[in-house]
Amino acid sequence: MQRIGVFVCWCGTNIAGTVNIEKVIAAAGEMPGVVYAKDYQYMCSAVGQNLVKNTIKEQKLDRVVIASCSPRMHEATFRKTAKVAGLNPYLVEVANIREHCSWIHKNKEEATKKAIALTRAAVAKVALNTALIAGEIGVESRALVIGGGIAGIQTALDIAEAGYEVDIIEKSPSIGGKMAQIDKTFPTLDCSACILTPKMVDVSTHPNINIYTYSELENVKGYVGNFEVTMNQRARSVNMEKCIGCGICTDKCPSKKAKSEFEEGLRNRSAIYTPFPQAIPNVPVIDREACIKFKTGKCGLCETVCPAGAIEFSQEDTKITKKYGAIVVAIGYDIIALDKFGEYAYTNHQDVITSLEFERLTNAAGPTGGKLVRPSDHKKPKKVVFVQCVGSRDKTERGKTYCSKICCMYTAKHAMLIRDKYPDIETYVFYIDVRTPGKNFDEFHRRAVEEYGVNYIKGMVGKIFPDGEKLQVHGVDALTGDTIKIDADMVVLAAATKAKEDAEDLGRKLSISTDTNNFFTEAHPKLKPVETHCAGIYLAGACQGPKDIPETVAQASGAAAKAIGLLSKDKLVNNPCISEVDEKICSGCLACTKICPYDAITSKVITFNDHGKITKRVVAQVNKALCQGCGGCTVACRPGAIDIKGFTNKQILAEVDALCR
Amino acid sequence: MEKIGLKVRARAKEALENREVDEVMGWKKGEFWYDVYPVFITEANEADDLIWDAFCVNNLSKYLIQKQKENKKVGVFLKGCDSLGFNQLLKDNRIDRDQVVIYGLPCVGMVDPEKVKKEGLNKGLLEIKRSKDEITFVTKEGEKKILGRQFDYDKCLACRYPNPVVYDELLDTEIAREVSEMDRFKDVEAIEKMSITERFEYWSNQFSKCIRCNACRNICPACSCEKCVFDNVNAGVSSKASVDSEEQFFHITRAYHVAGRCVDCGECTRVCPAGIPLDQLNHKIMKDINELYGKYDAGVDVSQDAPLVTYKLDDADSFTEHGKGGK
Repeated sequence: MQRIGVFVCWCGTNIAGTVNIEKVIAAAGEMPGVVYAKDYQYMCSAVGQNLVKNTIKEQKLDRVVIASCSPRMHEATFRKTAKVAGLNPYLVEVANIREHCSWIHKNKEEATKKAIALTRAAVAKVALNTALIAGEIGVESRALVIGGGIAGIQTALDIAEAGYEVDIIEKSPSIGGKMAQIDKTFPTLDCSACILTPKMVDVSTHPNINIYTYSELENVKGYVGNFEVTMNQRARSVNMEKCIGCGICTDKCPSKKAKSEFEEGLRNRSAIYTPFPQAIPNVPVIDREACIKFKTGKCGLCETVCPAGAIEFSQEDTKITKKYGAIVVAIGYDIIALDKFGEYAYTNHQDVITSLEFERLTNAAGPTGGKLVRPSDHKKPKKVVFVQCVGSRDKTERGKTYCSKICCMYTAKHAMLIRDKYPDIETYVFYIDVRTPGKNFDEFHRRAVEEYGVNYIKGMVGKIFPDGEKLQVHGVDALTGDTIKIDADMVVLAAATKAKEDAEDLGRKLSISTDTNNFFTEAHPKLKPVETHCAGIYLAGACQGPKDIPETVAQASGAAAKAIGLLSKDKLVNNPCISEVDEKICSGCLACTKICPYDAITSKVITFNDHGKITKRVVAQVNKALCQGCGGCTVACRPGAIDIKGFTNKQILAEVDALCR
Repeated sequence: MEKIGLKVRARAKEALENREVDEVMGWKKGEFWYDVYPVFITEANEADDLIWDAFCVNNLSKYLIQKQKENKKVGVFLKGCDSLGFNQLLKDNRIDRDQVVIYGLPCVGMVDPEKVKKEGLNKGLLEIKRSKDEITFVTKEGEKKILGRQFDYDKCLACRYPNPVVYDELLDTEIAREVSEMDRFKDVEAIEKMSITERFEYWSNQFSKCIRCNACRNICPACSCEKCVFDNVNAGVSSKASVDSEEQFFHITRAYHVAGRCVDCGECTRVCPAGIPLDQLNHKIMKDINELYGKYDAGVDVSQDAPLVTYKLDDADSFTEHGKGGK
């Protein structure tokens, strides 16, 4: 007979407040195989763990059930405890009577019943547990950073500085991201380029860092410590080795009608172009959709003028496959399209712009050389109105329910920059709430109001419409109830931030999840903010949720620290709960090989003696290093020939049976 | 069919004499007019037993699994529907194509003895001969010819592949027959129109007839597991208690196990002694697969990816759409 010990945790009042612990203990004592049942206030504490350890020895327990919080929280803790006491760690089961029970119920009687049922299920399962031995796998000591914005740059630099190789993969022709487009940064008002471009240079010259620009991630195989990533490097049409970055090609290119992405469409660029002068790499790229040579076959002027002979029209996309130990996702964010916000006249009036367009207009390197003029007639505006929360904190279909977090600060910054350069321009800011928590943030906003005389109006704008040369802005002051009418010259809309369009796709490729807004989900909102649910994949920056630059950089360093921690290991302990094929039953249909996301299952031909006849057939074969124990194969296997160790069909059914009893 | 029967015998004899194959699988006439059963012959002189008539409905491809384990090269006669089953077995790695020689037999349809009995034509019946759609009833009193397909199995009336889709030699000229896709899922549409309660009642009644004889499973070319999960004691589902829930569980599980692999040969329905319309379950799944993942016909093209074990990024994904507040 088995000797199962049940340990019930109060978790202070977290469990004991809703579950009658005494009754659980009494019921557990009656369960088949249970020889000992005991409760304690905090089972995960040193005292609690010692209780478990000592009892295992004293009572000669051969299996243990801990009824406590989620196994995600403390399964590892109690497995270690069992190991110290000389018990195989996989002979421990956790019954989740906190998240699955006490936290979600109010009726103590019902919750107690449920806690007993959950404990009974764990006891039924543990009775069928077998000792499992974990293996070891190696770690590829190289990291991949997806996205070359400030988050990716900071992550890559930190990992490289720790002595590990890092590759950055960036979709656009240059690294730099959104920060490269920004003029000044809050709350210090130092120039964005001045602090970003040196980091870009550091990245490009660091011996441990490789940059793949104009490249996209195509496919990810493998698992923590051993990812195999295939990327597609799009044809640049310019030889990166030969190009000297002189820029003659971009000057001479006759096709100059493409909208510059970097300038938010406020300026045109040539078909062969470098996104911005400080781009890294400083090698232009041919936009094949705009290039006359690609469209008609005639032209080729860039090829003629290039002194280095670097133009290569025949270049093709190349696939690069490399192995990585860790992956950091730092793909950043975008802002929402404003075509559904008709009341703000963004789509039909040039002088209604987004905040990101404003960044370019006020930037010394921007299309106006930093001179604030109206895009429509290049006249200096007299009144500028800022509208905040355009699509943020908006429950309707067209907007986003969340706060975009950065708009209050950058709007204060924009208004302040205008008032600083042009004290004669009046500025108005319509806001719902001003949210400026953060070091020196509220002081910054106060300065805008108190020192720079920016007019803040609490209320939303109802309508913006052109009136001669002016833009009529009609809104309501929510504090006085007065209707406000401003004849503005220019309106700046703080459009909501959103996750990148391809975030969900990338999430699928990486097997990491996204939330309802398509931001990547962290493993724990408080305690694992840079980890994902997929081991070895970390998050940095605004792809996880709206973030400003200081936060992004902090998180990037956090993600880098996690990646370094992983890369510094020679070996990782394998999860022994992996799948196993019963060759006697396997029919060799190999549905499992097709379902397996890790390519861990192959086939082999076996010969065996069937009542004296030597017969042979195909069966599935699991690669122990590749299998991650996801269980997909067990579901696909019709005869039930493949099972997950530690989670066999029999164990699961025993749990279900126990629950139904 | 008689002429082709001669060819069947001649080909089997030749193949065995020349040792092209170790064994030939075909059909043999039994005691009664409707009685035909599969035979395995290893000697050339046994070839005279082989027949090809309106009752050779059994699909022989599934027997290949056992033969091949014994490392034997086998010649086999396959009709259109049989060849679909053969392909599915090939896709499931249950047989080795190189170890099989397929003699293809285009088929105009097989006669359903039940339909003959229903018309009372079985009285004193000695033999039924078929030539295309002309059925000759041979009795002691003489012969009676009836033209038409009214005695064909329902599944034959809906046959879409009268010619084998895979073969090494074809023993007859291909049949050109207009086959309509239209009526294929009519049975499903009727059930889909029922309310949930009606549907549950309909299937509960059907499944309650089940005697767990396993005929549906044993005949099925998609049910080819080495050991069925219902026979695997470790799987925990091997109970055969005669209660409704067990029978429902068996049939629903079986339908899911053949999902995306059922070649719609209709054999399960044909062999069911309780008359459960099992093909309706299969049709429902086929219809859903076609609607969700595009047209797929199991057994027609071995190289085509099976939709239920192939993941594409643009696959219908109603779960996540619901999860994200989609419609």
